[in-house]
Amino acid sequence: MKLISIQFCNFRQFYGKTPEIFISCVGRNTTIIHGNNGAGKTTLMNGFTWVLYERFTAAFAAEEQLVNKRAISEAEPGKAVPCWVEVVFEHDSKRYQVKRLCRAYRNEAGISHGKSELYMMIAGDEGRWQPPPPPQQPVDIINRILPESLHQYFFFDGERIDHIVREEKKAEIAEATKELLGVEVLERAIRHLGEAKKSLETDLRGIGDPATKKLLRDKQKLEREMEQLAKRQAEIEEELLHQAELKKTLSSRLLELGGALQLQSLRNELETQRELIREQLKQANEVLQRSISTRGYTVLLSPAMAEFRGIVDGLRERGELPAGIKRQFVGELLERKRCICGAELTEGTQAHALVHAWMDKAGMADVEETALRMLTQVDEVEKQVPEFWGEVDRQQANINQWRAEISRIETQLDDTKKKLRNYPDENVSQLQTRLDEIESKISELNREAGSNKQQGESLKANIEGLGKQIDKLKMNELRQALAQRRIAAAQEAVERLTEVKSRLEKQFRLQLEKRVQEIFSEISFTPYVPKLNEKYELSLVENTAVGDAPVAASTGENQILSLSFLGGIIDRVREWSKKNTLMGPDSSTFPIVMDSPFGSLDEISRRRVARAIPRLANQLVVLVTKTQWRGEVAEEMKDYIDREYVLVYNSPKPDCEEDGIELNGERYPLVRQSPNEFEYTEIIEVGYGF
Amino acid sequence: MSDDASMNDIQEPIASAPAEIREIIERVLRAEKEKLYMKIPRNINDDILKIIKEAIQ
Repeated sequence: MKLISIQFCNFRQFYGKTPEIFISCVGRNTTIIHGNNGAGKTTLMNGFTWVLYERFTAAFAAEEQLVNKRAISEAEPGKAVPCWVEVVFEHDSKRYQVKRLCRAYRNEAGISHGKSELYMMIAGDEGRWQPPPPPQQPVDIINRILPESLHQYFFFDGERIDHIVREEKKAEIAEATKELLGVEVLERAIRHLGEAKKSLETDLRGIGDPATKKLLRDKQKLEREMEQLAKRQAEIEEELLHQAELKKTLSSRLLELGGALQLQSLRNELETQRELIREQLKQANEVLQRSISTRGYTVLLSPAMAEFRGIVDGLRERGELPAGIKRQFVGELLERKRCICGAELTEGTQAHALVHAWMDKAGMADVEETALRMLTQVDEVEKQVPEFWGEVDRQQANINQWRAEISRIETQLDDTKKKLRNYPDENVSQLQTRLDEIESKISELNREAGSNKQQGESLKANIEGLGKQIDKLKMNELRQALAQRRIAAAQEAVERLTEVKSRLEKQFRLQLEKRVQEIFSEISFTPYVPKLNEKYELSLVENTAVGDAPVAASTGENQILSLSFLGGIIDRVREWSKKNTLMGPDSSTFPIVMDSPFGSLDEISRRRVARAIPRLANQLVVLVTKTQWRGEVAEEMKDYIDREYVLVYNSPKPDCEEDGIELNGERYPLVRQSPNEFEYTEIIEVGYGF
Repeated sequence: MSDDASMNDIQEPIASAPAEIREIIERVLRAEKEKLYMKIPRNINDDILKIIKEAIQ
């Protein structure tokens, strides 16, 4: 964050709109603001923290009274008095104009303040100002650039800076430092990656264990069974062909033997008849099946049809059927406003009401139409019932007849075969016996083939089912492998980030400690050494013969220690963020705005602090009293100063002691008599023709 | 170890990671940084799951 300017309007001591205070940056990076006690130095610094974070430093009293008293007393009752501070800063090649505004109202009950509102405009390289693109909020944007928790590093009260190393503040500062480094980012990343990993593990459990191997084994077993079955079927077919051939040969030999010719012809004829009747029996069964499946339901509808007729009869008895008049017809009469009898149908008259009442009755027309249509259908169904029973009876009679016929033919066949088997000619008898055996064998083979066919179909269905399951599991296996790779990746990321965090905490702390020690020894003339523990807590020790001994540091030493710490942090974080864009802050430019930096320091320390601080930050704004701006301080800082401003306090006290300061050979007032009864502060830039 | 070298050493576990792990780490850190200003970052778990799923396919 590079500060460009700040401007006030009716904010505390500043009456009306002040000129803009421009903040120096490159090269001569220091801006000095001179002001006596009460002139508004603390106000000016709190202008920054109020705009950016709506926060105030401890030294800023009566936070609720932000609006300039003169502006309020001059305002008309009930009319809003605006109070605002506007800060312009630059970050990442963009310029941000941030303004916080609150309004005060004077009324009979006293003064009331409205809530403050934050406005932001952003300008890119092209210089066009526009509000932040939604859904970004100004507060979020500021926090991304310079987090609120860290603002105390950059905007602070020099007189209270030693608080940084006080016991109660240590933990807070340590946390803020970690955040500045990006440790917080790392910790969150580690925590949230762990949570993501857990969620992936839950997904994995959802996918289930793959039982693909077992299923594959089952499938292979079934396929082997299928193969065996197919082989057997082929054997049976071959055997059947063979047996049929044998039968044919034996039959022709039987014929050749003569004598049995008549019996044989009879047998053949009977066999042909049997086949014919079997076919007829099959057809009769098919007709019966078809009749039952297409018309069988009709016999079950009788109770429903009786109920339906009951409902229709009921409607008829009550006179609701037939409806006799159509709704459309009634509608048209009403629309024409004239009845068929010629009576006028005006809304509100009795005639209109009577005709309108027919609308409800006319509604029955739909029911009537449906009832009529259904009655026709019911009649049709009822007609089908006797037809269905007739067909069933007919086919049953046919079946019985064919069965009796087959039975008769089979008896005759058995008889004929018996005669052939017992034929006096032994050859004939033997051949017939052999033929019987072959027939029995053929029948047996046919049965086996039928059973095998059924078994084969069942096996095929099972194999197909298993195949589908295996495909699904294979897909699951892929998903599972992917989930496992993702879990492993999350785990590895967590491990690596944990290692980075551990290295960062250790090495950064060591470097920071080194830098703090360097800065401290530059400023302080004591032999004490700053130490930074693992929690980033700072302390001062003295090297003694028996090791490090803690030092009971004075307020001055603590101020120097705190300054060294801040300087060290800014310096190291700046370096770190230049090399690391992943974790550290986006900014490698940090401002420091210090109120009364020289607190309770002695001359040597003041000189050293004055020499050190312009080099601690990229930008330095120092707010000083006349007594703090002494020779050695001005001398040490002169090479860094770019702009200087004077806060001129206008006192309403009649006999106020006026004061002034000489800067660049010119005298500027610090305190002067107010031209009216109000106190207020003016801002004057040094060297601009006061 | 010089300051520079030790700074690089801090990030070595990220630099030496396989490409897809590095992608996850970098994208996760960026996502966390963007939502750092929120005490409870909204939808961060979904963001991170998306990052992992996109990086490992």
